[in-house]
Amino acid sequence: MIFTLAKKNTLIVEDFAEFARSVRAMLHSMGATDVEIVYNAEDAVEACKRKKYDVILSDYNLGPKKDGQQLLEELSKNGHLKSSCIFLMLTAENTTAMVMGAVEFQPDGYLAKPFNGNLLKSRLQKASEKKHVMESVNRAMSNRQWQQALDEIKEVMPKNKKYKMSCLRSRYKALRELKKYNEAFELASEITSQRAIPWAMEAVGEIFYLQEKYEKARDVFRNMTKEFPMSLEGYDWLAKIQQQLGEPLEAQATLQKALEKSPKALQRQKTLGAVAEQNNDSMVMTQAYRNAVKYGKNSAFASPDEYIKLTSAISQQLSKDDNTDSNRLINEVEGLFVNLEKNFVANETTSIRSNVAKAGFHKACNEDDKAEKYLQKTEHLVEKLEEQITPAVSLELNSALSKLGRDELAESILDEAIQQNLDDPEFISKAAKLSNNSELIAQCKQASQYNLKAINLFQKNNYPEAIKYFEGAHKLSPHNINIGLNYVQVLLKQIQSNGGDLKELPVAEKILGKLPTLNGEDSRYARYSELNRLVQLMVQKTSN
Amino acid sequence: MKDNSESIFNMVLASTVHDMKNSLSMLGESLNLILSQVDPELLDEKTKDYHGVVQYESARVNNSLMQLLALYKFENEQLPFNPSYHNLSDFLEEQKLRHIPLLDAKSIDCEIDVDEEIEGIFDECLLSTVLENVIGNAIRYTKSAIKISCSQQQNTVIEIADDGPGYPEQMIVLAGDYMHGINQSTGSTGLGLFFAKKIASLHKHKEQIGCIRLSNGGELGGGRFELIIP
Repeated sequence: MIFTLAKKNTLIVEDFAEFARSVRAMLHSMGATDVEIVYNAEDAVEACKRKKYDVILSDYNLGPKKDGQQLLEELSKNGHLKSSCIFLMLTAENTTAMVMGAVEFQPDGYLAKPFNGNLLKSRLQKASEKKHVMESVNRAMSNRQWQQALDEIKEVMPKNKKYKMSCLRSRYKALRELKKYNEAFELASEITSQRAIPWAMEAVGEIFYLQEKYEKARDVFRNMTKEFPMSLEGYDWLAKIQQQLGEPLEAQATLQKALEKSPKALQRQKTLGAVAEQNNDSMVMTQAYRNAVKYGKNSAFASPDEYIKLTSAISQQLSKDDNTDSNRLINEVEGLFVNLEKNFVANETTSIRSNVAKAGFHKACNEDDKAEKYLQKTEHLVEKLEEQITPAVSLELNSALSKLGRDELAESILDEAIQQNLDDPEFISKAAKLSNNSELIAQCKQASQYNLKAINLFQKNNYPEAIKYFEGAHKLSPHNINIGLNYVQVLLKQIQSNGGDLKELPVAEKILGKLPTLNGEDSRYARYSELNRLVQLMVQKTSN
Repeated sequence: MKDNSESIFNMVLASTVHDMKNSLSMLGESLNLILSQVDPELLDEKTKDYHGVVQYESARVNNSLMQLLALYKFENEQLPFNPSYHNLSDFLEEQKLRHIPLLDAKSIDCEIDVDEEIEGIFDECLLSTVLENVIGNAIRYTKSAIKISCSQQQNTVIEIADDGPGYPEQMIVLAGDYMHGINQSTGSTGLGLFFAKKIASLHKHKEQIGCIRLSNGGELGGGRFELIIP
């Protein structure tokens, strides 16, 4: 299969205009007729919104804003790339570091400058061949159809020795997602028993972790950081396991080591910030979130989190009166609040977090009046609140509001989160330590058990028994949306299997009516919508 | 946490390298474009020679840059090393492609002799940089032909042979052991071989460590460079 650029759309993303033109000339000599040039990532995103390109050649360095990798991430994340698009990253330096990091969004290849037309052609040809051969596998993988992917790999691998490693890598991922840990382990350890290949080493450690063999996992990742000191995944895993094993100080040191080697990593800086917070190390926490804000500037993965956390870390510093540069810090925090509003669309949760953070900040500056103003705003917002607050944010708000003396508000936010997330044992155990409502915790644990039991019965088609347990769970935790939806679903199933006996219908209607509101973006909204529709249909039948 | 000035230097280094590479790319491409517009009949030997010089020298500067950068990172434990399985035929074909403009300009014949099926385990990017330098040198010193070959028994051996005058005795003995001062006649600082040896040694398996070997004679009768990796 000969690769041709003749009918293909190509986009060049390159800040150095002369070089862009020379690349275009190379493409023309390969028969390309439709070649566009943009000079930065932002324009590239706009171009990709308008047109789906077949080939994109992007420089990694694109000036002061988004770089090539960030561009790729944004395009991938927002679905602007067609699956057959070949994305080559043009780089000035050694590409190995990039190959090792950012595993999720990888270009189809890297090309180090300077290169000539022959090399470019060869690379495009190779990338095109590989994409073609691996098409069915890649499609199954990106649709998360793991068994399908395994079947495709079985077909493709024997006929294509060239792509054996890629196939094995995908096979590993599919097995892991299917929770076939033993097979996944065998695959990875067979490779590492022959040679030390970074991704396979990481895979071995990952399986140990998933099997909760934490000590073994730690050994693997310790070795990995020794043997491949620039493989940052090794440090990330090691830190994660050290936390799991109750070694938060070691985890912090590990993350700091990784960041020395590669500071520009948004997620890693945030993780360090969180670990440092746990360790009450406000200096490190502050610097980490500062870096997160800085490096998040051009990333599609930036979020209000790092801004809120940073204001909170600096406020903590300000509340210790021995500050010589408090003016600078105050300016910094004020700047952060401004940028927070500028850069992110304010949803209900972010507004609440922001107001609480502002209250905390003014309190730290001994401006009690202003603090009070923001606390009242917060109360107002919480009252009106329709969306669900995530577990992590509920812990943050509970802690901040307690410190600000608003115990009732703190408790009510936490209690609601406990009810909504009773099937998240990690969160419940953290919340249990903070909540004054031991009865609630006990109720939620019980509700969770009933819910699981009921689901089991439902799967065995034992609807009457399932209904009993869902009823019990719902009584204990009437706000929990998942339980409510499960309960309604079983009731409807019961009605259907009873040949139309509608005695359960009013119950179903009542439950749906009393559930907390779901907004359109909640993943359960579709389910809620559908159940509501069915209930309404049946209600109409009875009134006829 | 590490000193801030170090990371500033890293950034300056990275952006300067980026800038220099762009310039070099432009030099090379511009020249190619100019020459492609000239009727080949009108190109005399001297012009072709100069074309070769520009290609060769800019490739050398670029390559030296890469090696310096890599060595700097190596000294600071910041050199990423990512070994993986690679098809050697594909890899070596690509190395040849990098030099096609120069090979054509100097009418040098470049043969590749590798079994299509064999794979090696190495860091593709780092070995690319090494071979680019070695092949570039071979082109500089050869008379008319270069041969790139690869064999595999216990180790993977990549060999670059030319039909030029061969390596001076001193080089063969030192084989990258240390960088000597600038050799006035050849302009060589030994950076290339020093780098090659360092990169080879990163490739380890059990007790075996990668290395390089220089010799004279070989199939083409000139210099012979061997890169041996486990």
